[in-house]
Amino acid sequence: MNRILRMMMCIALVAFVSVNALCAQDKCLACHEATVGGQPVELFKHDVHHAKGISCAGCHGGDSKTEDMDQAMNAKAGYIGVPKGDDISKTCANCHANAEKMKRLGSNLPANQFQNLQESVHGRLSTNGKERIVQCTTCHNAHGNVSVHNASSPVFALNIVKTCTKCHADAAFMRMYNPSLPVDQLDKYRTSVHGMRNAKGDAKVAHCASCHGSHDIRNAKDTKSNVYAANVPSTCAHCHSNSDYMKEYKIPTDQFDKFSRSVHGVALLKKHDLGAPACNSCHGNHAATPPGVSSVSKVCGTCHALNADLFSTSPHKKAFDDRKLPECETCHSNHEIVIATEKLLGVTSEAVCSRCHSEAQNTKGYAAAKAMRSLIDTLESNEKKATELVNEAEQKGMEISEAKYKLRDAHQARLESRTMVHAFNEGRFRDVASKGLAVSASVSEEATKALDEYVFRRLGLGFATLAITILAISLYVFIRRIERRQSKGVQ
Amino acid sequence: MKHFWSKTYNWINERVELDGLVEFMGKKYVPVNSHSIWYYFGGVSLFLFIIQVVTGILLLLYYKGGDALAFESIQFIMSKVQFGWLIRSIHSWTANLFILTALIHMFSVYFGKAYRKPREITWVTGMIMFFVAMGFGFSGYLLPWNELAFFATKVGTDIAGAVPVVGKPIMEFLRGGDDVTGATLSRFFGFHVAVLPGIFTVLLGIHLLLVQRQGMSEPLSFDEERPKERKTMPFFPNFMLRDMLLWLIVLNLLAILAVFFPWELGRKADPFASAPAGIKPEWYFLFMFQTLKYIPGKVFVFDGEVLGIMTFGLGGLLWLLVPFWDRKSSRGERNRLVNYVGLIIVIYIIILTIVGWIV
Repeated sequence: MNRILRMMMCIALVAFVSVNALCAQDKCLACHEATVGGQPVELFKHDVHHAKGISCAGCHGGDSKTEDMDQAMNAKAGYIGVPKGDDISKTCANCHANAEKMKRLGSNLPANQFQNLQESVHGRLSTNGKERIVQCTTCHNAHGNVSVHNASSPVFALNIVKTCTKCHADAAFMRMYNPSLPVDQLDKYRTSVHGMRNAKGDAKVAHCASCHGSHDIRNAKDTKSNVYAANVPSTCAHCHSNSDYMKEYKIPTDQFDKFSRSVHGVALLKKHDLGAPACNSCHGNHAATPPGVSSVSKVCGTCHALNADLFSTSPHKKAFDDRKLPECETCHSNHEIVIATEKLLGVTSEAVCSRCHSEAQNTKGYAAAKAMRSLIDTLESNEKKATELVNEAEQKGMEISEAKYKLRDAHQARLESRTMVHAFNEGRFRDVASKGLAVSASVSEEATKALDEYVFRRLGLGFATLAITILAISLYVFIRRIERRQSKGVQ
Repeated sequence: MKHFWSKTYNWINERVELDGLVEFMGKKYVPVNSHSIWYYFGGVSLFLFIIQVVTGILLLLYYKGGDALAFESIQFIMSKVQFGWLIRSIHSWTANLFILTALIHMFSVYFGKAYRKPREITWVTGMIMFFVAMGFGFSGYLLPWNELAFFATKVGTDIAGAVPVVGKPIMEFLRGGDDVTGATLSRFFGFHVAVLPGIFTVLLGIHLLLVQRQGMSEPLSFDEERPKERKTMPFFPNFMLRDMLLWLIVLNLLAILAVFFPWELGRKADPFASAPAGIKPEWYFLFMFQTLKYIPGKVFVFDGEVLGIMTFGLGGLLWLLVPFWDRKSSRGERNRLVNYVGLIIVIYIIILTIVGWIV
């Protein structure tokens, strides 16, 4: 044990001596410390680059080994002074984009940060046409760079929101390149579960870079962006589906799986329908917080406005409020919302109404649910029958386009009636359903007429053919008779 | 009843001297030989034209011109008007059968050399009528304002526009502008129901008058037979009654086609939609359409399409003027070259039409 301890001490001593020896060679630092001093010098002394033996000349150029200022800061010796504009990031990239160099310096940082930055919205856009919006130093500072895991780093998990909002909360600055982008993200973030925990010192919760990325931040409309609508669920799932990571928060980690199976998930992830909601559509993005019982219908209602309106005036509203039941979620579930079919309605075992309404305890509701289900089933079967008749008539070559067009009205009425279910009022439901039934009946009547006409046409053709044949035969006989008479006359 | 008819006849006869006409018709004879069947196609074409006039007038009662109403009005005719479906289907089928019978009639006249002196004018009027009939087909095809018609008209007028010098003005005149629009529909409607019927009626009048005045053409072999061996039949009533018998059969065929294969209306034309795949013109334009497809983009220094159109134009002109360059037939001599040329053209049209239909 003592031998190991002695060995470690020797290594530490050698390392200390070597670093000091290297630092001793950085005449820039020594001279600036002795003469000018100031923040850059102080910061650089604690800089990770300084610790790795990189001198001031590493970024500013020149000769850091000579004490002669003219020689040290001579352009011929490569002195460039303070890099400006895009040259700042290029200076960093001299090492950070060179994997071999980084390896030699003992760093395991990826070497693609500069490339990512160039492809990012920050690296592509410019406010003045001369330089890109963001240089490495914008977020990491120029001097005093430390590891991202160091609490003093501006990009440390607990500091990063402040770093980002230096620009993103500055309306005057943001106006220069994207006036439509909100500048209240930090305020919203602080109201979210993520933001509140972050403020309390939880470095594990999501911050700006967790969702938007760091060097590779892209516009939310860019399909490669982590926060592009179709990518949002997997971005959230990166943490929320990781049971080990989420263990201490004691919340489920199956939301993504459930969402993927839901009608919304299928629409967004499989059908690539960007109109379909992602996690942030219901939970918010910067102000991400689970909607509570009181607000869940408001969230759903942002898209399903008619359903929400009808529900809010329905007798169920008070009943749900009294029992503290979430409005939409009670019947439709939350993450795993499946396509709402007629089966949800009624009093059968798979219907949701029967969960609360039983024949013995709630006769009125039970009867209404039963009647509404019966009506919507009739509506569906009548529409199906009308469609079949129209298809049959069309296949038989009958002109039935008007009836076919009307079928849309029948379908529309069925959709309306499904929406009207949310009023939980049998009378209103019946009114809407009656419209659909009337349309289906009218379409069926027209299609039946067309099919009758089809039979009539064939019968008519039969009679016409018979009449024409008789006439033709008579004419033929008449011609023969004339010709016989003529030939006799000639003879 | 007999008394009534004779009284009626006498009443008319006293005023317009029907006796002369009856005597004239009674003396008209139609040659009877192994090719007599071809004589009937002229009559069938006439019958089909009459059907076109009658059904066309009936359709006019409900048809509404203009791109906003044309399609809907045909839809209305087919679904709401009593027997409207029948009238429209018969009109469409007759249009095609009319071109077919006129084509057969034309080739039978050609191979029978019936165009020879003194029937040059009859041939020329017949040929012009055939071209007008194709114009009827082309203009009538657009009137339902459906998708196929719209794009076929676009392609058709584009081809017309490819003719050097006069092509562009002709195309713009036909379209009523740069593109096929409601203005084109109005024009085509005007051509179909006013301009072309007017021209056709005059030509038909001359054609029929000449047929009656000059009688049926006799085949060249007829002159070689001795007068006693020459078989004939009176035009009236024998030929006319046989003609009517055929008309009845054609009428029944039309009814069968209309009932079993009602003419489809398709989808309403949408000028902003892309052209449906495999767009083709009517079958009687197919051989020309297919030929233009096969001609390379450049033939020597000439544009392939222009060369094709010019060749068809020249071919049509030569065909029209056949009585004037086939002097041998006019002299009563056999001209095998004309037969070979005709045969090659018939085979070419049939093959290219089939290929165009299948491909």
